[in-house]
Amino acid sequence: MLVSLKEIAKYVDISSLTPEEIASRLTFSGIEVEEIKKSADATNLTIGKVIECKDHPDSDHLHVCKVDIGSDILDIVCGAPNVRKDLKVIVALPGAVLCGRTITKGSIRGVESNGMLCALNELGVDPKYLRKEQIEGIEELPEDAPLGETNVLGYLGLDDTILDLSLLANRSDCYSLYNVAREIGALFDRKVSIPTYEEFHNYEENDFVISSETEQCKSFYAKVVKGIEIKESPKWLKDVLQSEGIRSIDNIVDLGNYVMLLTGQPIHCYDYDKLNKKELIVKDNIEEEFTALDEKTYSIKNGDLCVASDNKTMCLGGIMGGLNSEISFTSKNIVVEVANFHFASIRKTSSRLGLSSDSSLRFSKGINKDQAEEVLNLFIHLLKDLSSFDEVSQVIKYDKFNHDKKVIDCSLTYINKRLGSNFNYEEVKEVLTLLNFEISDIDGDNFKAVVPSYRIDVEGKADLSEEIIRYKGFDNITNALPVMETTVGTVSSLREKERLIESYLLDNGFFETLNYTLVNEKDNNAFNYVNKNEGIVISNPLTEDHKFIRKNLLTSLLRTQEYNINHKETDFKIFEISNVYSKGDKEEVHLAMSLVGNKHVQDGITLSSYNFYDMKGYLEGILNLFNIDINRIKFNLIKDNDNDFHPNRSAEVTLDGKRLAVFGDIHPLKRNEYSLKKEACIILEMNLSLLFATRSANNKFMDISKFPKVKRDYAFIVSEEYPYLSIKQDIKKCSSLIKEISLFDIYKGEHVKENHVSLALSVTLEKMDSTLKEEEIVALDNKIKETLISKYKVEFRG
Amino acid sequence: MDYALEFETLKSKALDELNSASSLKDLNDLKNKYLAKKGEISLMMNHIREVEDKKAFGELYNACRKAVEEAIDLKIKEEETKKLNEDLAKEKIDITLPGNNYSRGVANPFYKVINEIEDIFVGMGYSVETGPEVDYDKYVFELLNIPHDHPARDMQDTLYIDNNLLLRSHTSSVQAHVMEKAKGQPIKIICPGKTYRRDDDDMTHSHQFAQVEGLVIDKNINLGNLKATLELFAQKMFSKDTKVRFRSSFFPFTEPSVEVDISCFNCKGKGCSLCKGTGWIEILGAGMVHPNVLKMSGYDPDEYSGFAFGIGIERVTMLKYGIDDIRRFYQNDIRFIKEFKKVKED
Repeated sequence: MLVSLKEIAKYVDISSLTPEEIASRLTFSGIEVEEIKKSADATNLTIGKVIECKDHPDSDHLHVCKVDIGSDILDIVCGAPNVRKDLKVIVALPGAVLCGRTITKGSIRGVESNGMLCALNELGVDPKYLRKEQIEGIEELPEDAPLGETNVLGYLGLDDTILDLSLLANRSDCYSLYNVAREIGALFDRKVSIPTYEEFHNYEENDFVISSETEQCKSFYAKVVKGIEIKESPKWLKDVLQSEGIRSIDNIVDLGNYVMLLTGQPIHCYDYDKLNKKELIVKDNIEEEFTALDEKTYSIKNGDLCVASDNKTMCLGGIMGGLNSEISFTSKNIVVEVANFHFASIRKTSSRLGLSSDSSLRFSKGINKDQAEEVLNLFIHLLKDLSSFDEVSQVIKYDKFNHDKKVIDCSLTYINKRLGSNFNYEEVKEVLTLLNFEISDIDGDNFKAVVPSYRIDVEGKADLSEEIIRYKGFDNITNALPVMETTVGTVSSLREKERLIESYLLDNGFFETLNYTLVNEKDNNAFNYVNKNEGIVISNPLTEDHKFIRKNLLTSLLRTQEYNINHKETDFKIFEISNVYSKGDKEEVHLAMSLVGNKHVQDGITLSSYNFYDMKGYLEGILNLFNIDINRIKFNLIKDNDNDFHPNRSAEVTLDGKRLAVFGDIHPLKRNEYSLKKEACIILEMNLSLLFATRSANNKFMDISKFPKVKRDYAFIVSEEYPYLSIKQDIKKCSSLIKEISLFDIYKGEHVKENHVSLALSVTLEKMDSTLKEEEIVALDNKIKETLISKYKVEFRG
Repeated sequence: MDYALEFETLKSKALDELNSASSLKDLNDLKNKYLAKKGEISLMMNHIREVEDKKAFGELYNACRKAVEEAIDLKIKEEETKKLNEDLAKEKIDITLPGNNYSRGVANPFYKVINEIEDIFVGMGYSVETGPEVDYDKYVFELLNIPHDHPARDMQDTLYIDNNLLLRSHTSSVQAHVMEKAKGQPIKIICPGKTYRRDDDDMTHSHQFAQVEGLVIDKNINLGNLKATLELFAQKMFSKDTKVRFRSSFFPFTEPSVEVDISCFNCKGKGCSLCKGTGWIEILGAGMVHPNVLKMSGYDPDEYSGFAFGIGIERVTMLKYGIDDIRRFYQNDIRFIKEFKKVKED
């Protein structure tokens, strides 16, 4: 909302207040002033008359002029195509500063020039308000422009300061200059005078029907004015509209806009003679093609508010009028509409059609419903200065609103308690009164406040507390931490577990990354192993790149990895912990990890490439953090591996039979997709929700044996078809005395048959209540050997 | 026989030989030659039977033996030390080569700041809650006093899944969830989390960003409590002397609503490029929980009151570290992440 301070000054005394003071006070009380701008930015100007204009001897477009500025005659070189003898012009004298650019005396192609003849855009006027010829040439002043006048901006009506308000949704009342004036008046305790006018009419219009068939339009006021003259607006009106950012059209349309600027109530005018029938009826059940004033055609649908005459849309209510009933220079009779369209309908239609206007902006925020008649009176009053007219009808109205005043019960105690303040009753009453609330005392604490009708945002006593504090300033509250029952601050158990894994991985040299939740279709369809549920699609995505809510993390991590590989990072470990979502309110926390390239010692000295067992080690490290019994974990090949993982260097990990994670080398066929060349790439995705929800082994103290342990080593050759884990588990089953089995050598190659491997295990035996006897050890030893031979056909080595 | 002379000669001979022995082997041979069981000095003991003054003989024997033994041992020791030093010299390494790499990884500063904010509020007795990112209209809008037709929905350009389900556009949705669970009991929580808006990504906008929501509800909570809480937070987060300033604002779910500025920690309020010369930086929005919000979630607004605030994680992180572009958080350039090595700020 642009606010002209010149215009505001008509309604509130702002003398001796600087624009900066006004802006700062408004901003702190909830009406942010985004920018203070001058309508023009130029100094040292005067009005002159071209008394001689010759072609420049050394140029095909420059002119050499003699310009009479009253006190002197100046030689000025001018390049404008429209400069000519006898033209009244704006002269920037040497030393003038135009939008930061200083005009100096000088010589242009050998001819002396003592200033510049100006176009309005050179004075800082936004070209969007100017006609093409005004931009291409210098400004042509009227013949009666006062020669030698130095207050040129004043003469042009460009001596204004404009406040650009950025209004929040609650203060839509400030889309009205009257209400901005009221606000400034209240904030600075200055006198506000908003004029009101008597209703005027000189004939009764009895045949014209005004009505609404929809709840979305509860009031519609109109007047018929006959015998008017449509013409260009006077300069003052054009100037005001320009400073408020609105283009001038003709006197009637401009008046409608001006009244809207003043009151916040949009006005629409119809050509009375173009209406199909003597009626205007608001309907919401019309479906037709409608050509608006912007000469574009829109498809009107059920639910759109249409002002119709004989079932034909004349105006897309509150948004834009129709070309069919447009006011033109030949119009003689008009109907002036002051209606109230429901904000929700306006917003819906406006956004569906991609069509908005100053009118729809105001309607869609909600407007004052109690001022329709005053607005019409103002319109007619101002019309008197803009056009002659013969007849004005009475107000024809349709009104289903309840116009009772809003009354709020409140108390001083409530306000101070809510704010943490110490205001007294008089202060509170004074502030609310300045803000145009009518206060009636009850008992020195309780009071009733009648809300001014334009403050549609004020609903209850909490709003009153806000009015007080925004007026008095937030320095008036007492800073004190809340006094509550003492509570122990805790991070939720979920966050605690996430943070545990996070710090484990960071300690192990991983970088923690943050990736977008929304991904494109291709990435969404890749690496879906851990969460196999149906994914979620955004119905109104901004781009195809951010259309799907990821249900697994690996692809985004691979994209981050790819970015870094493309930026020449060679060896690194990254991870991400994030929520993922799938249909049916399913939320899971996942972990994705990736190992790229080589393990390093000493700067770039490579130890070796990352491999499957590195990732498995980190996985086991995480399981260890949660004290998960390794017997509940199974490693199998990934049955549903769709050429994403190396078929024989990857695994599915299950916890109690449920898929916990998948990990392994990326499939060679997928390497290209993620810009991988020769570097190792081992990836993992884990369902942390499953891990977190699992009951882990007890943390209770278990007694330690007082008796010595015995270690027995077994070295044997066994076929590769048997997985190590199964051998280990079968050994474990031989006796409860076995406390630990560890692998200390593994060998393939010379002296070992093809497809066989040589393993060396160390088995630790321990008894809680006595020393192990030799016979016990021998018996167990035999049992282990027998098991290995019978089940795994091992050959023991010497 | 003059044993004294005999021992003296033997000793001189041994010490002479010792002078010319240089290797450890020579020295050990020499030791054996004189001092072993059959060594030349040891064999002298056989003569004890022949002497009368056995005590004097014994003393001569011991003195000779000791002198030779000590001399040899001394030289052995010298040789050993010499050899050890030679060996150690051979093991010389370049101590300026880099150490083996066991450095800790680094978290994207985004996480670092979330953890820091959590720790600050946990220290003040808050609980950290979480809430769903994919949520129902009811929690994101309705229960926060933003009914379907409310003009305030203009402020939220939301990503929808269907009419009812959406990606939350603020963490304020957690307020409604927490109040629903608390069933009328006092509340003191924060909730960090990702949020989404239908925004084009540029230097300062991102369709994905994160907030920390704060909510306190009890019987006597006022706006001054909010100000003191945020001031304490800002002092922990930025610097000890940070001040907080409120400006009137609007959010549908708070009344009064405020924008919160902190005094510029860079220039201490004097005015610099960070605060655009104003001495103040806008960091968050806050306010007193709207009576309608309390009512809808089962709290009597005449008895209970509360405050709520929403801190932008990226915004705070960008301010704190002078990061210029919000997209850097989501780009995860390892060079960028590495800049945030320090675990704890001073």
